[in-house]
Amino acid sequence: MNQMDLKNPQPNRETLLEVDHLRKTFGKLEALKNVTFSVNTGSCFGLLGPNGAGKSTTMKILAGILSADSGSARLLGKNVLLDKSVVAKNVGYVPQEITLYEEFTALENLTFFGELYGVKGRELRKRTEKVLEDTGLAERARDKVKTFSGGMKRRINIGCALLHRPRLLILDEPTVGIDPQSRNRIFEMIRKLTEEGVTVIYSTHYMEEVEQLCDEAAIIDHGEVMAHGPLGELLERYGRKAVYLEVTGLKEIPQHPLIKAANREGIGWILESENLPELMQWLLSVASNQRWEVKQLDIVRPSLEQVFLTVTGTALRD
Amino acid sequence: MKTIIKKEIKMMLREKGNLFFLIIMPILFIVMFGSIFGKTDHFSLTIHYIDDDATSMSSAFIHQVDQVKGVKMVHEKASDLPDVIDKIKKGQLSFLLVVNDGFEASLKDGKQAHIKFYQDPAMESEGGTIEAILQSIADDYRKQKIMNTLHALGQSNEAIAKTLEPAVHIKKITPAVESINTITQVVPGMTVMFVFYIMISMTRRFFKEKDSRLLSRCQSTGMKPIEYLIGMWIPYALGVVVQCTVLLAFGHFVYHLHLGDLKALCLLILALSLCGSGIGLALSVLVRGENQGMAITQVVALGGAMVGGLWVPSYLLPSLVQKIGHLTPQFWAQKGLQDIFAHGAGVSGIWLSLVILFAFGLAGLFIAVIRLPHFLKSAA
Repeated sequence: MNQMDLKNPQPNRETLLEVDHLRKTFGKLEALKNVTFSVNTGSCFGLLGPNGAGKSTTMKILAGILSADSGSARLLGKNVLLDKSVVAKNVGYVPQEITLYEEFTALENLTFFGELYGVKGRELRKRTEKVLEDTGLAERARDKVKTFSGGMKRRINIGCALLHRPRLLILDEPTVGIDPQSRNRIFEMIRKLTEEGVTVIYSTHYMEEVEQLCDEAAIIDHGEVMAHGPLGELLERYGRKAVYLEVTGLKEIPQHPLIKAANREGIGWILESENLPELMQWLLSVASNQRWEVKQLDIVRPSLEQVFLTVTGTALRD
Repeated sequence: MKTIIKKEIKMMLREKGNLFFLIIMPILFIVMFGSIFGKTDHFSLTIHYIDDDATSMSSAFIHQVDQVKGVKMVHEKASDLPDVIDKIKKGQLSFLLVVNDGFEASLKDGKQAHIKFYQDPAMESEGGTIEAILQSIADDYRKQKIMNTLHALGQSNEAIAKTLEPAVHIKKITPAVESINTITQVVPGMTVMFVFYIMISMTRRFFKEKDSRLLSRCQSTGMKPIEYLIGMWIPYALGVVVQCTVLLAFGHFVYHLHLGDLKALCLLILALSLCGSGIGLALSVLVRGENQGMAITQVVALGGAMVGGLWVPSYLLPSLVQKIGHLTPQFWAQKGLQDIFAHGAGVSGIWLSLVILFAFGLAGLFIAVIRLPHFLKSAA
């Protein structure tokens, strides 16, 4: 059972990115059918979907690597599909793979990407130092990347996209194949970045990562955005409304118009209803009348997993 | 572009395989080919002989043949004649000369003396050379016989000399500044051959960047495609210049290779560098994978070396192969280098080689530029 807190978006934030009816095909394969969402400035936006849903294709289009067949994506009001300079200047892209020169040191990798982003001289040195500190790799700056652990490589992989101080950081499944400790370290980095005002698009197929990090999200499946918005709204709109009831020896739930569905969950029951306060009141009165020994009666918090199930009609697959 | 160039030079220097394939291996080949084919400068034809006559004149005849440069005489017993003939039949021995009994007596009597020459049918061309040598010696005997006759008729030495003077006089002239030997064939040959191996390094690097998604990531930085292409090309073009300089310097200092006109040599190295790296660049963006690139490189490098006259001089190849060879950049590079080293050619003497090598290189660059968008798309 999910005990997540409902998150609410910060009110009246500017829209940084607007993606509108993006479509992309690779031969006969329709990778993106209709991708539409918007991202507010300073938010951490989760792009949630199974493998092959279209997350990476969407991110590559936003990073200026792929072109779209139709649709538009406006960053700071400019169409990134037509004006690549707006991407180079304002977007930092971190691909799913570790894209580093293993034979180079961490410092050499950062310097290389910094120069590609057009940062030079003293400013570049200053920024590489800051990135090394932020990634916690200052002491390993002159070590070759091939000697790093998976988590360290992931951190420097992100660091390489930060040297030009982007307004939007696109992270494509940045925690694939790393241990929980390294994952938490990356989460800390992302939280710090959003605190500094960087907007983050975070793609993943792990719901708990979105729940932990993001305040906005889009659910994408088969190349289509099925739902998007602030996380709280999504949970409210698509999450299951239910209570968990555990009564000693209770074998059957009495029928009542308030109960939409009743399902066994372990030794208790999940009772779905559109009106949870009334349902709970009714349950307490029945318990009193029929002398139930109530062990537990709780509201079940909605989870992204349920949202995903409701929106796509299937469970999140690998 | 400077950033890509710096990165790629670092990558080249840090990849140990490059040093081995582009410098050490060609040096090993130069040493190996030099030591194997160097011995052909002292090439000799072995002729086995049986002297049935065993007289001073038959010995003198055999000695005279033995004195010919490139011929080595090996004595066999008269009793071994059937065995030796059998060995020739089987291809175990190549040539046998038999001086028949009565050789001296025939010469003294002014009659025709007889010798027999057996040869392995597989050695027809070499056999022709020996026949010519024997014919030349027989001509000397004929001259001597005529001289004796003319003396007997009372003619003076001057008159006899004038009578016997050959109608055609052949004067041997070698117009080359430096003598053409194994080294002037092997050093430029191996240098040119291994220049084309840069194509493997280039293809491997392009596909490493593509497959590791580094190229895709670089594209997100706003890097211009043409800058990427030129940035990836320049280090390899410089690499070829360094490679040629090291290999030719090795030839010069170790094998005393005469380098000739340095201005012409520098221009030819630049043209060769543009050619090898330009074709390498085209190949890198054309092929579907590293393995395909390696296979094509082998065909281009080894095939071109074979028909382009890098292993053996082009004139020794069949005429059809020679014609095909003229279509390869290797032939023109080798020709240009040999013209500089052995024929004292300057820039004007190698202009055709320069034009053809530059043309191949520019064609490679052109194809690479045209094909680049497709390559970048496949990398995304």
